[in-house]
Order: sequence, then structure tokens, then C-alpha cells
Amino acid sequence: MTTRRAFLGTAGLLGASAVLADGRWGLARADKPVNLSGWVFKPDTVKDYIDFYNNKHHGQVKYEAIPWAQYHPTMETRALAGEIVDVMYCNHNNRERWYENGLLRPVDDLPGVDELKKKMTPANLDSLKSKDGTKLLGLPYFTSLFILIYNEPMLQQAGIKAPAKSWDELVEHCMKLKKDKVSETPFLPNWNNSPSGTMPQFMSDCFSEGANVFDAKNRVIVDQEPGVAKAMERWQKVYKADLVNPEVLTKTSSTDTHRLFWSGRYAYHTNHSYYLKTIAAEPENSKLAPKKAKMVMYPGTGQSYMWTDSYVVNAKSKNLEDAWKLTRFLGGNLNGDWYVQRQWCLISGLDNPYPEMYDHPEIIASYDKWIDLKLLREQYKKGKVISAYKEPWYGEYDTKAVAIVHNMIRGTTAVPKGLKELVALQKSLV
Amino acid sequence: MPLRLSEGWFAFALVLPALLGIFVVVLFPLAYSLWLSFTDVNLLRATGPAIELFGVRVPLFRWVGLQNYARIFDDPLYWSSLWRTLYFVGAFVLEATLMGLGMALVLNERFAGRPLMRSLLLIPWSLSRVVVGLLWVGILDFEFGALNGLLHNWGLIDRSIAFFKEGFTALNVLVSVYMWNQAPFATLLFLAGMQSVPEDLYSAAEVDGAGYWQRFRFVTLPALRPILFLVLVLATVNGFLMLDLIYVLTMGGPANETTTISWLGFQTAFAFFKFGPGTAILYTLTALCLLVTIVYQRLILGRFEPER
Repeated sequence: MTTRRAFLGTAGLLGASAVLADGRWGLARADKPVNLSGWVFKPDTVKDYIDFYNNKHHGQVKYEAIPWAQYHPTMETRALAGEIVDVMYCNHNNRERWYENGLLRPVDDLPGVDELKKKMTPANLDSLKSKDGTKLLGLPYFTSLFILIYNEPMLQQAGIKAPAKSWDELVEHCMKLKKDKVSETPFLPNWNNSPSGTMPQFMSDCFSEGANVFDAKNRVIVDQEPGVAKAMERWQKVYKADLVNPEVLTKTSSTDTHRLFWSGRYAYHTNHSYYLKTIAAEPENSKLAPKKAKMVMYPGTGQSYMWTDSYVVNAKSKNLEDAWKLTRFLGGNLNGDWYVQRQWCLISGLDNPYPEMYDHPEIIASYDKWIDLKLLREQYKKGKVISAYKEPWYGEYDTKAVAIVHNMIRGTTAVPKGLKELVALQKSLV
Repeated sequence: MPLRLSEGWFAFALVLPALLGIFVVVLFPLAYSLWLSFTDVNLLRATGPAIELFGVRVPLFRWVGLQNYARIFDDPLYWSSLWRTLYFVGAFVLEATLMGLGMALVLNERFAGRPLMRSLLLIPWSLSRVVVGLLWVGILDFEFGALNGLLHNWGLIDRSIAFFKEGFTALNVLVSVYMWNQAPFATLLFLAGMQSVPEDLYSAAEVDGAGYWQRFRFVTLPALRPILFLVLVLATVNGFLMLDLIYVLTMGGPANETTTISWLGFQTAFAFFKFGPGTAILYTLTALCLLVTIVYQRLILGRFEPER
């Protein structure tokens, strides 16, 4: 097994040679293969850039895609069986758990990481760190936040000149659209039943009301925040007034939810930023392409929930040098090239926490086809991260809280009671 | 001196490979998962005792006794999911059995196109349940569902029906979709049973003046008793274990109103990484399946004397 001392010694020599010889430390083909596992998202794209890496950087990377629902349990089961996957995708909810249980290693001591840290947005850097804030647990796969999207032709048809700037105005617009029979259900919030739906949407709307969901010690404090109650009362109101597709509560993913907006039958939609790409730039799928759907700054304080998923290095990797090189290729800028991060921006609108990427002419031209990039970057400045997901109870809280929030939305639980239930739920899991 | 085996040992030696296979594939996982339900499982920290099996280290984790069972029995969500599961299974078994029997009766008659109908019947059963779920989303969806479209075009509704809006309606939709998927198999079994009833019995009943329903009650049904047992047991076990349709159609929502025990166990084990309580939840389901099977056996096969 490579010791830290031996690795640093080798890395130091290679780093020096890289400085002297323009990054030539990758010229020799890697001795051992490096395994990369990730959840299924555009596996052909991943295969393409892995081929690129193997050819250009002389790697021997073996890539495997695992369905999202089984991904994290599968990786844990494999670790139990003694299998070592050198580089892995890891979503934000599981990162701390993998670190505390010794599946991943921090990357702070690896060459070139300080440069990447400096380039990263501070909020994203924080979210990639361990709970105590001392260790960087991986490099970013992507970052995203919630945005507000509107259907421009529908608003124009109803004589609404500008999109809503406040939640009250949004509700007013939706009431008018329904009354005028322009849309049966004009509002499409991401209230789906998956971990990427209701609860991130809940936090976004709470943040936009200037409320906190967790305190500094990561305790749920929603019963003490007037902004949370305000957001929940608004949700109840729009549901009761039939402004929302009632089946959004049983949609099984954010992807399914955003596809509803393709139909052009909704006026407003809140969802992850990257979904606007398929809505506004894929005429073969969406009636709102090209660029008939647009984003507007999130109402209220403008803040919305932001998270960062990651590539992590296995703590037991026997090929740390090559594993780290691959990780830098994936989540950083190996030899100064943001190849993978750029590919995700161009192909899927998946953002990353390196602001300098967005000065690249290719990125600017690509985003211009589906979004106002300047506005998106402004929205990212308002992105708010939490650290509660680093707590061991968070995954269970996040899933079980959905039912409580759904009951508040449907009015089967009064808002003050529901908020107290959320607090009690978290306490019961600690 | 050549080794001589008695006939019994020789037979045992012949079936030994199969027995080993059954042990590795069935008995060991069963016993191990039962063991897990009494332990505190952390896949990433497999501390505690372990056993070696065919060179593989199998961790036994920390024994916690009945703690996992106590914890799940203390959870109101477990009990609400249990009552919902019992409703789901009861409704599904009833629908699948009656529909299966009804279709078998029709397909047992002689009419033009019967072979084609028998072939078409198997299509819903042969589809993967994920596909079945997606197919029914296409039919029932509030926004783009074909059924809402048809009803609207025929002027029967002004506003789309939201089949998944209320939990109880959504649960009944799940029952019906699962019945659509599973009833053809019951039909197949019933049909096979009906084919094996000797024609003489029907002829004799006709001579005695029995009509269609009397022939059905006094000839067909008694002859189908073992098949009925099989259909009920299979439908009950399948109903208890049904998971994939929930995954595709509702994910246990709205709120927890379509959450069944199987979904709760799956969530607990694979979303919360609580494999101890997760397996405990699922073992209560196993116990229920066994209990219901025994009841069926007593009720249906108790008085059944097979021909010797």
C-alpha cells in the first residue's frame, strides 16, 4: 500500500518535473488501471471523456455506471466485500458518512489542490469540506441551485408584461391565468417525492423569505422562523386554489417534473438550474424551445438552495497517484484544461463552482442559446449552502420530512403543527 | 479396497451438489439476512465477529437482540404501513383471483379467436413492472394521460381527473395496475386446472340436469381447489412484496399514503442505510406471508383429498 510519505515523495518529484517539463508527468502510461464508478447520467458522455483521458493523458481508466437508486448502497457493499474503486462519484448527502467511515480520503495533501481551492467559489468549497471544516473531501462533479423559470409566450398571451418579482406577484399572475382560462394549473413547483424535489424546494423558498431552516448547530428551527410559515402558507394557498398540478406530489424525480413544463401549459416553474437547458434549448422535446422559457431572479431575498456533488478518492486506493490525476481531470483542470467541467456545461448545462470557466467564449456562446448567463451567475452569488447534510441523521430526516411538508401543502396538517412536526422529527433522529 | 457406498449414501452423494447450490443461493442468504435483523449493521465499518465461508470473510456485526424489532414496532409509520399493506394485499388478491378466474372461464369456452386471445392474455404478465408502471402513467396522468384525454374528448369531464392526488385513490390505482399485470398468470393456472377436469363429470352433471352455474359450483370449483390454493398463495406473497410499481408510480406518496411495508423496508435499508431495522421490517413481512399461507392451507386444502 502507498504510504503518505512515499506518495508525497513521488508526487514532489513528479511535480518538479511537471514544472520543468510542461506537465510531462503523464507521458508514461499508468502502470495499473484506475477504476471509476458513477451513477448513470449520460454514460456515453462519460465514456467519451474517459477515452479522451486514456488517449491524451495515457491513462488506463475503467469506467462503470451504476443506476442512481442503487449507487451509494452498491458502493458500500463493494467496500464491505473488499473491492477498491479508486475514484467514485459521491453525492453531498453521503460524503461525510463515507469520510467518517474511512471509504474516502481527504485530498488536501495532494498536489495542485491549493490552486483549485483558490479558484472555487467559497460557498461550494465549504460544502465540499468535512463537517469540522478542516478537510476537503473531494473535487466538484457539478453544482446547482433552484431557479425560477417562466413561460414568456403564456405571460404575453395573458397581457402580463413582466415576470413576477415577488411571490405575491407570482400568485397574482397564476390566479389571473387560471381565471382567464389560459392555464388550468399555471404553477409547477418541484414538489416531487424524491430527495431532489420537495425538501430542496422547501429550503429554497424558506431562504427566499429570509428564513433559516437549520441553526449553526444544524438543528431544525423552522418553528421559530416566520419566513418558513409564510412560505408554507403560500404553498397551501396555491394548492387549495388549484394553481398547481396535484400529481406533482407523486412524481418520482425532478427530471419527470421538469418535463411537464415542456408542454407549455404552465406559466412558472421552479427547479434545478440545468433543467432550463432541455426546456429552452431542445425543440425536439420542448414546446418552449428555443428560449421561450426564461429564468428570472428567485423572488424575495433572491436566495435559493445550492449544493455540490463530487468525485472522491478511495482511502484504500493502491494507485493514489493515478487516482488523483484522474480526479483532477474530472473535477479540476489537469494541466490547466477544464475539459470535463467544460463538457458538462456544454452538453447538459451542469454548472461548476469555478467562476473563471464562465469567461470561456465557448461556454458563453453555448449558454446564450438557452439562458441569460449573467443572470444565472448573479443567481449563483445568492446560492445558499447548508451543512446539515453532513449530519448522520440528515438522509432519513430529508426523506421522512417530505410527508410532513406534503401534508402542509394539502392542508391536512396546519402549518404551525407541521413545522413543529419537522422539528420533532429531527430531534427523534439525533 | 474400492470404496462402496450404501444406496442411501450414493443417492445423497448425487444430490449433494444441488444441496450445496441451494445452501449457497437460498439458505445462507436467508439465515444471514435474518441474523442481520438482530444486529447493528454498518457496511463501511464491519467491526465485530466474522465467519469465513469458502474463503470469504462474512461479518456478523454487533448483536443488538430484539432492539431493531422494538424500534420498528414503536414507529407509527410502521403500523400505518402495515394496515395499508393488508388492505393492498386483500384488495389485490381478491381482484386478481376473481379476474383470473373470470378470464379463465371465458377462455375455456369455444369461440372464434380463442387461441389468439389466450396468447394476447400473456402480454401484461410478460412485461417488466417498470414498463407496466410507465405504461399506466401514460394512461392515467393528470397532464397527458390518455384516459383523461378520451374522457375529455367524449365530453364526460371538464377537468382532468388526478388519479394520484389522494392517497387512498392512488393506493387503489396501484392495486388495479398490479392486478392488470398479475391476473393473466392466475388465468393461466385456472385454465390449466379447468383443462384437467374430465369431460365425463360435466356430461354426468348435464344428465342430472345441472345448468352452467351448477356445473361451475359443483364440478369446476371443487376440481380447482388445489389451483385456487396456489393462486391465492402466489398472489398474497406477490402482493406483500410488491415494490417496483410504487417506485415508478408514487414513491410512497402523496405524504406516506401509498407507503407499504415493502417500500418502508426498502427505504429504511437502502435510503437511510439502516440495514438492521430494514431487514427487521422485511422479516415481519415474511412472517405475515407464512402465516397467511398456513391459513390458506388449512382453509382450502384441509379437506382436500388428492387422488391416490
